[in-house]
Formats: sequence, C-alpha cells, structure tokens
Amino acid sequence: MLLALRRLFGWETSAEQSEEARDWRQYKWVILPTRQGFFARVEEIWRYRRILWFFAVQRIKDRYEGTTLGPFWLFARPLMPIAISTIVFGRLLNVPSDGVPYFLFFLAGSSCWRIFERSMLWAAQSLEAAKGLIKKVYFPRLIAPIASVAPAVTEFGILFTLLVIACIAYWVKDGVMYLRLGTGMVAAVAAVVLTCFFAVSIGLWTSVLQVRHKDVRYSVRYMSQFWNYATPVIYPMSQVPPKYHFLMYLNPMAPLVEMYKWGMLGIGVFPAKELASGLLIISIVFAAGVVYFNRSEAASVDKL
Amino acid sequence: MDSLVAEKLGKCYILQGSGVKRQTSTFRERLQPWKNADGEQSETREFWALRDLSFRLQPGSILGIIGANGAGKTTLLKILARVITPTTGRVVGVGRVVSLLELGAGFDPDLPADENILMNAAMFGIPKHEAIRRMPEIFEFAGVERFEGTPLKHYSSGMYLRLAFSVAINMNPQILLADEILAVGDQLFQDKCLQRISEDAASGLTVLFVSHDMEAIVRLCNRVMWIHAGQVMKIGEPELIVDEYQNAIWSQADASRSEKGRRANRFAEILAIRLVSDTGRDIGGAPISEDVYVKVRLHVLKAHINVRCALDVNTRGQLLFRSADPQTHRFDEEGIYDIFAKIPANLLAESTYSVTVNCSLMYHDEPREFLLVAYNALSFIAFSTEDTTVPVSGGRLQKLGLIAPKLEWTVKAEKVDAARA
Repeated sequence: MLLALRRLFGWETSAEQSEEARDWRQYKWVILPTRQGFFARVEEIWRYRRILWFFAVQRIKDRYEGTTLGPFWLFARPLMPIAISTIVFGRLLNVPSDGVPYFLFFLAGSSCWRIFERSMLWAAQSLEAAKGLIKKVYFPRLIAPIASVAPAVTEFGILFTLLVIACIAYWVKDGVMYLRLGTGMVAAVAAVVLTCFFAVSIGLWTSVLQVRHKDVRYSVRYMSQFWNYATPVIYPMSQVPPKYHFLMYLNPMAPLVEMYKWGMLGIGVFPAKELASGLLIISIVFAAGVVYFNRSEAASVDKL
Repeated sequence: MDSLVAEKLGKCYILQGSGVKRQTSTFRERLQPWKNADGEQSETREFWALRDLSFRLQPGSILGIIGANGAGKTTLLKILARVITPTTGRVVGVGRVVSLLELGAGFDPDLPADENILMNAAMFGIPKHEAIRRMPEIFEFAGVERFEGTPLKHYSSGMYLRLAFSVAINMNPQILLADEILAVGDQLFQDKCLQRISEDAASGLTVLFVSHDMEAIVRLCNRVMWIHAGQVMKIGEPELIVDEYQNAIWSQADASRSEKGRRANRFAEILAIRLVSDTGRDIGGAPISEDVYVKVRLHVLKAHINVRCALDVNTRGQLLFRSADPQTHRFDEEGIYDIFAKIPANLLAESTYSVTVNCSLMYHDEPREFLLVAYNALSFIAFSTEDTTVPVSGGRLQKLGLIAPKLEWTVKAEKVDAARA
C-alpha cells in the first residue's frame, strides 16, 4: 500500500537530480517511458518557474494587447454584466443581500466566482493553446494549465479595485464603511488562493480531455453556467432553505465564495464545516488530477 | 565515458479507425459504442515509429542520421529532446541538451529578439544573468546586432534561422540535436555553422544531425546512422553508409513506380524491357567497360504499324538523358519483335540507373500518333571491373558524377618560347 502510494506520487527524487544544479556538465539524466511522479514534478516546475512566468505574462497579453481601448475594456468588460445583474436582481427582483447594497454584494461574490470560471475555461484549452510550443520544445506540461490562471487573476485585481472604489463611494455617500479591514482579509485572500487552486485542479482533467474530445471546452462552458447558479453569487446563502444546505457541501465553490464575502464585507457566517468538506473535495480532485495528468500527458501530446 | 546512450528505444502510436487522420472522437461516439458495432468498423492498430533502437555516443562525436521520410529520424530527436515520451527503452545522457527541431521553435514572433533569447534560455535551464551575459555573443554570431529590440515577426527567415542557431550553440550545450535546420540560410552561414559545430565537437560537444543533404552529412559527421522503418539499418563510416543508402533508395523508388504508365493499346503492347549483353543474354547489372543493350519486346497486335522508340535514362532522381531512335520501323505483320538500343561502353558511372521507354505508334499513313510508356520499367546497376579510382583531393574518389565517359587524353609537347608568347 505504502509502496504503491510512493510509486504513485514518486516520493523519491533521484540523488542525481538534486545534484544537477551544481554543474550541468556532469548532470546525468535519464529518459524513461514512465513519467516521474508527483514530487519530482513539483520540483521540475520550480526549476522551470521562469517559463511559468513567461506563460502567464503571455496569456495576459493575449487578452489585452492590440486593443485600442485597452484600459477601457479592462474595466468595462467585467463591469457591464455586474451592472446589469444589479439592476435585474437587486432592483427589479429585490433579491436580499445580507444588509449591504446589492451592488457590493454581487461585486464581491462574482469577483471570486469569476476567477474560478475564467481560469477553468482557459485551463481547459491550455494544452491546445500551447500546442505550437509543446510539440517543439520541452517544458513541464503542467505549466500550461497553471499559467492559465494568470489572466483571471488580473481580472480579479480589476474587480477588487472596483470593489474598493465602490466601498469608498458608498462610504462618502451613506457614511457606512462596508469594507471590512482587518483579519477577515486573510480569509478573503485564502479564498482567492483556494479558488485558483481548485480551478487548476479541474484544469488538470479538462485540459487533457480537451485534446481528445474537442467538445470538452463547450461542456465546461455549459456546466459553468449551472454551477454559477448553484453557488451563492447572485443570492445569499441565508436565502437557501436549511434542508438544501447539504448540497452546498458538495460544491466547494459555495464555501469559498461565502468565505470571500465574509472576509471582505463581513456578511454571512464563516462556513467552517462546508469549507472542510470543500477542501477535502478540492484535494481529491487535485491529487487525482496530477496523477491523471501525468499518466495521460504523453498520449495527449502525441495526439496534439 | 559515453555522453549519450540509447537502449532499445521504441515509440508506438495507436492509430484509430481508418488511419492517422482520425485522432479525435467526440463524446457522442464514445458514449455510443454500439453504433460502431454495426456501422463503420473502428479498429485500432499499432504503428511503431521507432523500434529497438540502440546506440552509444562518445563526447565529440557528430552523428549524422539519414533515412527516408517517415523512417523515424525526427521521432528519435523528439524523444531525445523530451518532446515526446518513448514507449519502451531508455536514454541516459550527460549534460545539457539543446534542440533545434524546427526553425524558430520556442520563439514567440511577437516578442523582441532579446526577450526571446531570455525565454529560450529559460527553457534550456540557463539562469537569467548568464543569458544576459551571453547575449552580445549570440547577436554577433547571428549577425543581427542591429535588430536586438525588433519583434521576431519582422525578421526574415534567414535572420530567424541565424538567431535560432546562434542561441542554441551559445547555450553551451553538451548535446546538440539539429533536425534539418541548415536547409534554409545562405551558404556562408551554413559553412559558419558547420565550422562552429566541428570546433565545439572537438572540445566535447556531441551532435545528432538529421539531414537530407548528403554532402553536409559527409562533410560534417564522423559517424552516420541509417534508419529504416524505425530501426537502425547501418551505423558506421559516413561515406560508406551514405553511398549505400543512396543506392538503396533509388532502386527502391524505381520498384515502387514500375507499375505506372500505359504499356498497351489496341495496336501494340510492350511485353518486357530487359538489359542484355552482347550475346543477347539477360543481365542484372551493366559492366561499364562493355556495351550493353536495352531490349524492348513489343507485341504488335495490328499489321502495318510504324514504331519509333525513345529511352529516358534516369539516375539519382534526375533525367540523365533522353535518346530516340532516329529511324521509324514499319511492322507489316503481327507478331513479337525485339528492339535493341545499345548503350556504349565507358559511358555510365558506378551508380543505379533506371530506364523509361516511350514508343510512338502510327497506323499506316495516318497522321495520328499513339504513345506507349513504361515508366522506370528497368533499373540496373552499372559496375566497374576495373579500378575507377581517380586521384582527386578530398577523399571520395569513386562514383562522382552521373556519367563517367572515357575521354581521349593526349599530350603534345609545345615549344617553350611559343608558350611564353
């Protein structure tokens, strides 16, 4: 059992590998049909971290470079759907928002959600998008799905800025500071990091699958719409009947979004139990994802 | 110590359905397996691009890899560059591997040259400060100093190649993989590259060089590996292997094309084309010092046919000459006729030749012409029983040139004063 686990995750990194950094000329490498396991992988990504950075910058540039109204789109793109939703759900349907203005409530919820949605979509296409490079030079393929988080993080940065500006505006207007400055921020940051992590974990599966089945991308897009409604973004958790709360345990994004809103705006409760089950699900998806990615990588690259 | 050892390397691809093209399937097809049962048969078959390939190289060796398209040359390099994973076997190597698999691989056309160099360096595991230190050297070798900040999309393909090669060689590799990269680029830079590779090899660089340019292979490499259908055919001395390889591919090409052409119509049929000796016996090869004949056996199906034949003699993929019978022969009776064309002695070189026969047919005095063609119907090797070695500097003395006619050489003494004037 233990041996199987060791083999699965590749605990041992060979002695040769740890010494390589000292002198390339003496570095002895081996290419084998079976790929190295989990820890060798993490170490490899660390060695190639600059490629990761290049990739991340590249993905961000892909989105904004060459647009004439660059900075305008930067804000306009995420803001438009939020403004519309605020009018429809907040004004017309009067969806409750836990005591903060609906605009802030929705902005906070969707900024966390959007990282997830965007990263997940881009991660699914990541291997295919990097096809040109993957077929010609070697770098750890895991870098492709990981780097696809980058544009989502920039988008998050913009939404975050908007949130701060909006809070200040409400402070000036109503004299109430909705933004919760303090230790809660730590929870918010943790929520963001975990969201990225979860998106990458799913990306490990979808990116490999996408190579073989071109419809994975559409499925992900399709599913994400339902997932959005299953996550308390447009409505607060407090509006969900308690008998359906168990469903939220199955959706790791629910506690993460709640945690983010709790951290930023101080609304709702800290979702401790849901978070625990969410973390469990995320780690399973991630660990199995790495193993799956490792196993299918070679075959997928052949099919690119 | 060996710098690169490959042991029983194999790479297997699974081909799905009708062939290579169907590599993707939609979910729907996967989810409805019963549709395949009675519909189109989706069979999978294995294709071994490489099989049980083993070799070892010492530091300083320059291995040329030759073989027909699809023999597995590129697959081998891609495995060594870790772009694809082998199915079986293993490779053990020492030192940094730098690969030039394709022109400008790993370059981003939108980024300026210097940033691309940094990115490439990162891919080969070179720290940033080291890459920056080497940058002037790289630009100088490539001869593109003035275009440091220019995005690569504005580079010409020659500049692109020069930069790519310069980056690779200046990354200080212990093993360099080069796949057909010198195909582009001017002669001057090509020479510079080959020169640099030889120099670096002298100080321990191991090079694997794939090329279809046999001249470059012979010039540069100190060993050559001939790969055929994923397996090592031969490995050894460049000149020997290259010659053997070239002979083999031409005779093979002839065999595969021999069925094409129009060999019969309602007037006549070309039954056979043979190489025969003086005595009329079939021979497989042509002794260069003797006359040989191409015999065309024609079955005349209708009387009163005018026939005129022509031969195309090809070697190494080129038309060497076309020669037509100056006379038209009239066959007033049906039957089988043999037409002979003499190839004189001391014309052919030691090489493989293939012959295409064209027959023009005219019925009676009608102006219409009908043509019979037998493409590459005959292929033979011309060989020498004498010593054909010519004292020329540079090594390869035999088999140079497409033909080797015997010229008449005479010497005449002239008065010294007359020569001065």
